[in-house]
Amino acid sequence: MTVKIESRMRLTLLGGFLGSGKTTWLRHQLHEGRFSKAHVIVNEAAEMPIDDALLGQSKWLSVLPGGCACCVGKADLIALLRQLCDQRSRGENFQEIVLETSGLADPGPIVEAISNDPMLVHHIFVSDVIVAVDALHGLSQLQRESLGRRQAEAASRFVVTKIDDAAPHSVKTLLATLRVINPDAELTGAVKGTSVALPDVANAIADQLPALAGEGERPEIFPTVLNIDQTIDWTALTVWLSALLHARGDDVLRVKGVIQTPAGRLLLQSVRKIMQSPEILPEQNLGDGREDNKLVVIGSGYEAADLHRSLQFFADAGRGEE
Amino acid sequence: MCSSCGFPAAPGHWTDAGASETHDRLRARFRRAQVLQAVLPKFGLTAHDSISVPGIQLSNMSGSHAMVSDLAELWKEAERMTGGVIDPLDPRLLI
Repeated sequence: MTVKIESRMRLTLLGGFLGSGKTTWLRHQLHEGRFSKAHVIVNEAAEMPIDDALLGQSKWLSVLPGGCACCVGKADLIALLRQLCDQRSRGENFQEIVLETSGLADPGPIVEAISNDPMLVHHIFVSDVIVAVDALHGLSQLQRESLGRRQAEAASRFVVTKIDDAAPHSVKTLLATLRVINPDAELTGAVKGTSVALPDVANAIADQLPALAGEGERPEIFPTVLNIDQTIDWTALTVWLSALLHARGDDVLRVKGVIQTPAGRLLLQSVRKIMQSPEILPEQNLGDGREDNKLVVIGSGYEAADLHRSLQFFADAGRGEE
Repeated sequence: MCSSCGFPAAPGHWTDAGASETHDRLRARFRRAQVLQAVLPKFGLTAHDSISVPGIQLSNMSGSHAMVSDLAELWKEAERMTGGVIDPLDPRLLI
């Protein structure tokens, strides 16, 4: 068996609502030496000058002004990413990309655009979707703005910012609410970019989010863990999962898991309907916190038992004839 | 492009990532056809993968057919042919 080594560049997408503290957090990470080999792209929805401090810390920086990268600025983003891939193949020394989106960006369409680009899909994979949430205003944004909710649903990790400015009980409510919207995402806290411990949310009660205009009442979002044992082969799993995302893409918010295949350990991650091109992980599980062959499906509007039964139907297909 | 296995996939659908060797890719195509042949008839469709050419042939009961290159296209085309969504959580597929 030949196992490919992942040679594509990691792209970390940093999103979050307007004023949620994305730039402050990123500037501090750069100051501390994280993303030191990253080409940083900053997307501004408006024509605004870039923060000088950020410019100073990053060795490689591109600014995409005048258009949100999830909609009007999408073509410019794709063109820039292609250009970066070309530069890297010609010997430029950056090894990953950090894309700070504008506060108006929905991460979903950006991930989709990168995953669907026939050239980029071979050079870049979205490794993390980090969403900054303002501890002071995050809850009201989730209550009132469908964009705020879409950003939260797409996150693989939350950075809850400005924790020192908010009352402890409201931070707990925010954390519990984020946990309900996106149960699988990692929760972290920050004050001016520095990591801080989060309060315990075991007994915290999530806020009831009202239905927003254009959105019906949403049933409870819950995670389902599917055990991909030896009776479920990769092909049957992907036929099933591709059908599920096509038919239920509005219900299934995220799918995540590491699956062992003949081509190696593959990390599957979807954001709504879009499954990212799988990342090839090292053969040894180096304690990355993920157990192999468990697929987490997060969504609403279906029964967990039906996922198990349906997947088993696909996996058993044709087996009786062998 | 090799006409047996369709490699290299352009741009490479995510569902094809689980097989890197030629024999694994061929095995995966046979298996994909097998799974589709168990699922699609429940919705009045059939799928056929001749292996000798890339792609999957999708047909309905009235005889219309289409070639699709990957599963994403297949579910879209199946929706168009049947006028409804092929939902894997449909009661007909719950065992």
